[in-house]
Amino acid sequence: MNLNQFRYIMGQVFVVPILALTVLALALAIQIKSSADTVQQIQSSDRRIARVTLVSKLIVDQETGLRGFQVTGDPRFLEPYRQAEHDLDPVLNRLYERMHQGPTANPQQAVIIAEVRDNYHNWKSGFVAGMMKAANASTELRDPELNMRGKQQMDSIRADLDRLTDQLNQQRVERIDRWQRQVKLMLRVLFGLALAAALLIGLFVRSRLHMVSAAFRGSMEEAQRRAAESFRSEQELRTTLCSIGDGVIQCDLEGRVQMMNPVAEDLTRWPLAEAVGSPISAVFPVINERTRAALESPVMKVLRLGQTIKLANHALLLRRDGTEVDIADSGAPIRDKDGKLLGVVMVFRDVSLERRSQEALIAHEKLVVSGRVAATIAHEIHNPLDAVQNLLYLIRQGGSSSETKEYLRLAESELTRVTEISRAMLGMHREATSAVIIDLRTSLCDMLLLMERRFAKLDVHVTSDLATGVEVCGYPGELKQVFSNLLANAAEAAGQGGTVHVELLRGVPHVTDTGESVPPGAVVRILDNGPGIAPDTLEKLFEPFFTTKGESGTGLGLWVSRGIAAKHGGTLILSSQLTGPDRGTIAEVYLPLSQSDSHVTPEIAPDAAPDLPITPDRQATRTVNASLASPPSL
Amino acid sequence: MPVSPQHLVLCVDDERVGLRVRQILLERAGYRVLTAESGPAGLDLFSHEPIDAVILDYSMPGMHGGEVARRMRDDKPAVPILLLSAYVGLPSEVMALVDLSMTKGEGAARLLEKLGSLLPA
Repeated sequence: MNLNQFRYIMGQVFVVPILALTVLALALAIQIKSSADTVQQIQSSDRRIARVTLVSKLIVDQETGLRGFQVTGDPRFLEPYRQAEHDLDPVLNRLYERMHQGPTANPQQAVIIAEVRDNYHNWKSGFVAGMMKAANASTELRDPELNMRGKQQMDSIRADLDRLTDQLNQQRVERIDRWQRQVKLMLRVLFGLALAAALLIGLFVRSRLHMVSAAFRGSMEEAQRRAAESFRSEQELRTTLCSIGDGVIQCDLEGRVQMMNPVAEDLTRWPLAEAVGSPISAVFPVINERTRAALESPVMKVLRLGQTIKLANHALLLRRDGTEVDIADSGAPIRDKDGKLLGVVMVFRDVSLERRSQEALIAHEKLVVSGRVAATIAHEIHNPLDAVQNLLYLIRQGGSSSETKEYLRLAESELTRVTEISRAMLGMHREATSAVIIDLRTSLCDMLLLMERRFAKLDVHVTSDLATGVEVCGYPGELKQVFSNLLANAAEAAGQGGTVHVELLRGVPHVTDTGESVPPGAVVRILDNGPGIAPDTLEKLFEPFFTTKGESGTGLGLWVSRGIAAKHGGTLILSSQLTGPDRGTIAEVYLPLSQSDSHVTPEIAPDAAPDLPITPDRQATRTVNASLASPPSL
Repeated sequence: MPVSPQHLVLCVDDERVGLRVRQILLERAGYRVLTAESGPAGLDLFSHEPIDAVILDYSMPGMHGGEVARRMRDDKPAVPILLLSAYVGLPSEVMALVDLSMTKGEGAARLLEKLGSLLPA
C-alpha cells in the first residue's frame, strides 16, 4: 500500500461517518418537522376550543345580563350583554373564516359554526329584539312565548356549541394520539437508523482499518526484515573487514583516514582512534624498496586517476614505530550510484613472508638448475681434460717436433674450452650482492655455451641473432637462470631435429594489448618450432609447481623466471601457435635498459646470418665461440 | 711396444678432438683403430668389421652408449666393451651390459691397461 492509497482510505474513513450522520440528521429533521406540524395542529385545536368556550361564555354572559334586565328592568344589567355582544360577532366570524377556508379549514365545523351564528342572530333579532321592544314599551317582559322561543334558540346554540366542542376535543385527542405515534415512530426510526449507521460505520471503518493494518503490518515486517538484513550484512561486512588478513584503509576525498581494520592498525602501528582524520601520507608512508624514494600513496593515486590501481611492487611501508615492512597494495575508488567519487578504499598486505618463501623457492629452483648444469659441466670439462691427458701422454712418449707442436696446440685449444666453460659456470653461480651492469649478449653466449652439449644431445639446432651493447642492470646469475630455463624448455619443446632461435634486440617503446606503456628496453626472444602449447596450459604455466614434464620438472622454472624478470622491473611472456608455419612457442623476456646504457646502437645488430630468424645451420651458434667451432685439423 | 698388433679396436665418441687423440694413442700402442662419431655409425662398423674390442662413449646425441652397447651385445656378445663416460654414476643396467667402464680423464695409461685386460695377450 502506498501513501496515496493510505490517504484515500483515511478519506473514506472520514467521509463515510459524516455521510451516515447527515442521512440520520435528515431523517431526524423530517420526523421533527412532521411532529411539529402535529403539535401545531394540536395548538390550533386548543385555540379553537378556547374560542368556542369563549363564545359559550359570551353567550352565557349575554343571557345572564338579559335575564337580569328581564327581572329588574334595569338597563344597567344589560351592560354585560352589550359588552359580550360587542366581542361575540368578531369571534364568531373569525371562527367561521378559519373553519371555512385556509389551511385549517374543516367544512363540518364550518357548518356548525355557521348554524350557531345564524341561530345567534335569530336569537338576537327574535328574542332579544322582542324583549327590548317590550322593555321600551314598558310591557310585560315575561312573555312566555317569547321566552320559550328564546330558550329554544339558546338551547340549539348551546347544543351546537357543545357538539362543536366535542368535535374539537375529539380532534385534539386524535391529534395528540397522532403526535404520540409520530414521536414513537420517530424514536424507533432514529434508533434503527442510528444502529444501522453505527453498524455501517463500524464495519466500514473496521474493514478499512483492517486493510491499513494489514498493509502496515506488511510494511512493518518488510522494514524489520530490511533492517535485520542490513544489520546482518553490516555485521558480515564488519566481520569480514576485521577478519580478513589484509589491511584495509578507507579515506575521504581529501585523503584523510576514515576507517581502518585491525590488520591495518597492526601493519601501520597506528591505532584507529589516532589515525582517523589524519592524512594518509602520515599514516601510510611508502618508499621504494631499492631507491628508498617516497612513493605516491595508492589513495592519492586513485584520487588523481579516478580508477582502480593494482598491486605495486617493491613498496616498503614505514611504520609508526620506525620499523619497515614489505607490502603490496592496491586502491579502488568508492563511488555512489551516480558514479560520483566519495572516497578511496586501499587494501594492502604484508608480503615479507611471501617474499621470503619466494626467495626460498627461487633458491631451491636455483639448486635444481645448478644440479642440471653441473652434470653438463662435468661432461664438458671431462671431455677436453681426457683429450688433454691423452695428448700429454703422447707428448711424453716422444715423437716428431711437428707432431708434438700439433699435440700442444690441440691441448691448448681444449684447455681454453675448459677455461671458458669454467668461467661461464662461475658466472652462473657467483651471485653478486648488488645489481651490476650486465651485457646481455655475453650472458646469452655463456648460456648457449654451457648448454651446447645439451642441445646436441637432444639433436636440436640452435641459431642466434644477438645485438651488441645491450646492457641492463641486474643480477647476472639470476638472469642466466632465466635464460637457461627458457632455453632448456625451448630445446625440449623443439625435440629431435627441431630448431631453437635466440634473439637479443633493443625493444622500441610501445603500448601492450592491456594498455600498459612499455619504455624502450632489452628484449630476449627464444623461439622454438615445437608442437606449441594449448591456451589452457599456457595460462597455468606460470603457476608454481605446475609442470608438463612429470618427475623430471620442478614446476618452478617459469614461475621463478617470471619472478626474476619482475624483480628486474621486466616481464616474461609466453605465446604459442599450435598450427601453421609459425607453429611453436615464443618466450619473450623484456628488461629495462640500465641508466648508463644510453648510447645509440642499431635496433638489431647484424650478428647472425641474414636469412633470419631460424637457419638450420648450427654454425650460427658456433660463431659465438669460434675457437671451439673450428674443427681440429690433425 | 705393441701388445697385440692384430687387435682391431673400434672407438665410438661424438667428441671429434677426443676421438682423434684416442685413435693416435691406441695406434701408438700398437692397435689397429676404427673410429665412429655416432652410435649408428659405430654399430655399422661393428657388424661389418672383425672388431676385437670396443671403446664406447656413453653420452652421445641421438643414441647413447648404453643403447649402442645393448645392440652390440645382441650382434656379437663376445666382443668386450669398455664404456667411457664423463659422468660418475651411470645407470646400473648399462654397467651390467659392458665389461669395464672408466671415467674420462683417468689418464691414457689407465685406458691402455684396462683395454689390455679385456684382450687376450
